[in-house]
Amino acid sequence: MKACESKDEKHTIILGVIGSDCHSVGNKILELFFTAEGFKVVNLGVMVSQQEFVDAAIETNAKAILVSSLYGHGEIDCQGFRDLCLEKGLDPIVLYVGGNLVVGKTPFAVVEEKFRKMGFDRVFAPDVDLKKVAELLRQDIEEKFGSVRKPETVEKNQEKKSNK
Amino acid sequence: MKTIISIDIGSTWTKGGLFVLSPSGLKLKSKYSTPTTQNNLIQGFNEVLKGLTGQDINGALAGLNDSTEVFFSSSAKGGLKIAAIGLVPDLTLQLARLAAMSAGGKVVGSFAFTLTRQDVEALERLQPDIILFSGGTDGGNTRYVLDNARRLASSGFSCPVVYAGNRAVADEVAEILKNKEVILTENLMPEVGQVNIEPAREKIREIFLKRIVQGRGLSELVEIFGAQPRPTPLAVFELIQAIPRFNPDWSDLAAIDIGGATTDFYSNTESYLETDSVILKGIREPRVKRTVEGDLGMRVSACSLLEAGKPYLEARLISLGLALEAMERFVQKISVDNDYLPETEEEVWLDRILAETCVYYSALRHAGGWRETYTPQGKVYIQTGKDLRAVKAVVGSGGFLSAENSAEVLRLPLERLAFYGDERKLLPEKPSFFRDKDYLFPLLGNLVEKYPQEAAILAVASLEKLG
Repeated sequence: MKACESKDEKHTIILGVIGSDCHSVGNKILELFFTAEGFKVVNLGVMVSQQEFVDAAIETNAKAILVSSLYGHGEIDCQGFRDLCLEKGLDPIVLYVGGNLVVGKTPFAVVEEKFRKMGFDRVFAPDVDLKKVAELLRQDIEEKFGSVRKPETVEKNQEKKSNK
Repeated sequence: MKTIISIDIGSTWTKGGLFVLSPSGLKLKSKYSTPTTQNNLIQGFNEVLKGLTGQDINGALAGLNDSTEVFFSSSAKGGLKIAAIGLVPDLTLQLARLAAMSAGGKVVGSFAFTLTRQDVEALERLQPDIILFSGGTDGGNTRYVLDNARRLASSGFSCPVVYAGNRAVADEVAEILKNKEVILTENLMPEVGQVNIEPAREKIREIFLKRIVQGRGLSELVEIFGAQPRPTPLAVFELIQAIPRFNPDWSDLAAIDIGGATTDFYSNTESYLETDSVILKGIREPRVKRTVEGDLGMRVSACSLLEAGKPYLEARLISLGLALEAMERFVQKISVDNDYLPETEEEVWLDRILAETCVYYSALRHAGGWRETYTPQGKVYIQTGKDLRAVKAVVGSGGFLSAENSAEVLRLPLERLAFYGDERKLLPEKPSFFRDKDYLFPLLGNLVEKYPQEAAILAVASLEKLG
């Protein structure tokens, strides 16, 4: 099921490899994959700082930021990412992170726990099935922002939120 | 054969050139300049016309027949005032500033994110001639733009607003601002990192051409000559744009024009040379770019130059054994008497140091830089801003640099700027230096629209190479 068909109704998502990380191949694959899945992808490429992710998300009104890290320093690079989003008013934005997030043989559950604590909504291991990620991404976006296909539902969801 | 008269009405001098156009090209026949008559620009204009044609004004006007064309420009006090509004400072706001300067304007205020009450008050106080309003990619953020539109609608300014933000809400913005003059144009940044400043630049240019004639006798000139004056910085911008097209050896160039009030820096070169070891951050700047510095100038802005340029200025004073107090006294003097020319040897040096300082800081702000970073894949450079390394020719123009017959005043500050903090500045590598010895750039810039090839060729031919 493709969530978004027409051009103007696509969810915008931001992609990039964080920190001093130059791994560009996976990044390009992700761009192709998520574009094919019907998302509007803004790919910032490699060596992207937290500030650049956030700036791009503000200008494009993005619904999600997908952070990649391959070189083992992800934990340091991602520190405070959610806080920065909150500071900049991107409160409901969906944050994903994936890749080789730490050096060494730390069990994935421990890694996941660490990044969840930092405020990432989901954490993915290198061998994750991308189809599954796209599915989860649609769910998470619609849960936080409502469906973009039916504007009236968006309003209802917002009302719900403000009633809380 | 055709006679072409080009006149530039500057803030202190009204300068004119009489050109002859024949099948062999454009030639300068005579030049004439006179102090600008501030209250009624037409007097100074007529004075130049008389000087160029050698006739009284009635004779000069009567002599303007079908084979004579007149073009003119006005500096409009260093370019019309533009307030730039964007969303994120490094993205849409940065592009709004670039578009404003490249259209020949002077950025008097920059505002990011939501306009606060103080911002709106500042806007009203600054009285810009144009507000350039951007924010959001196409289909991107609408909240800030709509919010800001409402704030602008209830504010008291009266100048036109050029809207170059998120296309999705352009009509809504126009509706909110229906009590103002709104001009809609394409988004400056339709996608993140995609630069599209040309449409906004064009709209600003159109407004300039309309606005610049208002007051001080210019509209009378338009009636007589049936031609619109161009803003001087725009004329020079168009000349810099045209030069590589008609001069095969001049593919990459830069020009610095130091005036009494501002320093303009122009470049025409590719802004980013893609390689595996250099990664560009932020926006990819346009090939032709102008920046203008309102705080760097040799006379009217000498006081602010003393402030803004202190580190370089002091280092130079020390190396030449001159006292800072002497510089301060000199600046005091020239700030009051804007026409003052150095009389002693010391004053000649002080004047030169001021010019060097203008070169140093205008280049610092115009050129981009590299920062070295180590990654597990090796050393890479992070580039921000524009790469000027491929520039082969640097031209000095404007009162001081046109008269300066040594390259040192350009070369030395650029050499000293090789590194700024931990950043390697991307300045021209081993350029040749030239001077616009007859100060023809503004005059030839006026002709570019109609005679691009002739003007571009004469511009290069009239330069003098400096040793």
